[in-house]
Amino acid sequence: MKIQQIENYLCGEATESEITALFQWIDASPENKKEFIQYKKLWALTSRAGEEEEVWDRLFAPRFRKQKLVHNYWRFAKYAAMLLFAIGAGFAFQYTGWGLKHEKLIYAQNCSIAAPLGQMTNIVLPDGSKVMLNSGSSITYNSNFSQGERLVTLTGEAFFDVAKDQDHPFRIETSLLNFEVFGTSFNIEAYPDDPTINTTLVEGSLAISDKTQKELHRLKPGENAHYDAYQTKLVVTNVSTGIYTSWKDGLITFRNEKLKEIAKKIERWYNVKIIINNPKIGEQAYFGTILKNKPIDQILEVLKLSSSLKYKIEYRPDKPTIIYWR
Amino acid sequence: MEASYSPYNDFFLSQLKAGNESAFEHLFKIDYKRIVGFCQQFIEDKDQSQSLAQEAFVKLWLNRAQLETVNGIHSFLYTAAKTDCLNYLKHQKIINRHRDRQLQAKEAELNREILESFDFDQLELMELEKLINQAIEELPEKCRLVFRLSRIEGKKNNEIAKELEISVKSVEANMTRALKTLKLKLAAYLPAILVQIILEGL
Repeated sequence: MKIQQIENYLCGEATESEITALFQWIDASPENKKEFIQYKKLWALTSRAGEEEEVWDRLFAPRFRKQKLVHNYWRFAKYAAMLLFAIGAGFAFQYTGWGLKHEKLIYAQNCSIAAPLGQMTNIVLPDGSKVMLNSGSSITYNSNFSQGERLVTLTGEAFFDVAKDQDHPFRIETSLLNFEVFGTSFNIEAYPDDPTINTTLVEGSLAISDKTQKELHRLKPGENAHYDAYQTKLVVTNVSTGIYTSWKDGLITFRNEKLKEIAKKIERWYNVKIIINNPKIGEQAYFGTILKNKPIDQILEVLKLSSSLKYKIEYRPDKPTIIYWR
Repeated sequence: MEASYSPYNDFFLSQLKAGNESAFEHLFKIDYKRIVGFCQQFIEDKDQSQSLAQEAFVKLWLNRAQLETVNGIHSFLYTAAKTDCLNYLKHQKIINRHRDRQLQAKEAELNREILESFDFDQLELMELEKLINQAIEELPEKCRLVFRLSRIEGKKNNEIAKELEISVKSVEANMTRALKTLKLKLAAYLPAILVQIILEGL
């Protein structure tokens, strides 16, 4: 049996008669069977399912939440009962005129806002803080936010302009680090497919702590903190903040950034897929500024003119466009 | 990167164990394709494979407190996937009416046998993954590229051909070469482990 036939079978490309022949061969001797099993195991362990976009959000996150709810059913029931009581009491107070007059809104239990691939989103949080979400990012806050617990969870990249409130710290949680501020503006880059986090502070002061709440560093204006999850190391450097925050004005400055890293960003901004055929191109460092709001072909032209990159665009119906870089 | 082969570190593990949902999300996004890919080798139905893989992740989340090392993450996921696939195969009726029943039964039987022989003991799985990765790295460039696109990115042969601007025939030839080399390499590198994981229990 030629390995080509085994491979065809493993790929699911063998015909009925080829499969029959293969199984005859497998049955013919224990050695044959052993050999086939070796290939199949190797195949299974190196196998990756094809591109599944947004599985987490679409399929798994709701299911995962459900599972957790069932698990925490009693705790949930307790809170639900308390909440019902509180709402009931609130109505009673209001009805009898005992209660304080307040205009606090009850926000949705978990408010989640996402900027889809290819788009940016502006958000004003209940406390007046402004958040600008970069493409492919999302932010979540819970119902306690309007009661003064300023806590948000960030996936991806966002520029924060936090409203001043000395009594209520504003906290941001990402997968790897936590941040705490009182009133400042800064940028956080924490994409889930990246094992690093980049934070740049424009003004004010920003405390960075690990997930055990140990403070790692207090960032000063103009400082950039780069965190690497593999080395669990935080490196702080002085930077010109513009490079890190200019994306919100639609202006992107690259300094010594590898083209493969730039490709990742373009994929997020334009919801396209970039395939780098020549690995050498990916490693090439690039200096320059591009305008993000321009159509992608113009961006590609700029990159082409200012580096040795060549590209080819392949449009696909109902699927992200593929761009090949050579 | 040599010392820590796993995509996770101890800090990540402590976060996961503490119930950090973003840590779990991160993990899911890294490993989902791998577990679906594994299930698909034994279960034809694509949706079913996905659902079994998702089940494995739910189990991981519910049992996260029991994880002891970062390498335990993959062991746990693969073991859960293996158990679920076996359970599924046990109760599965022959579905594909266009194909010979006897052949399908034989195939299912062999799949069960292969699944049962997988031993996802932490150390061995880590060693094997490391070996496979090393062996892939050592393949000739074109060969490696084709293998990666096919096995790691899950692309079809004609897609790879288009992407690399070579013929489908050439993709096939490179895949064959890659598999053959890998098998030989792996057999030569660490016989003990191969004997334990791949050859033993047949």
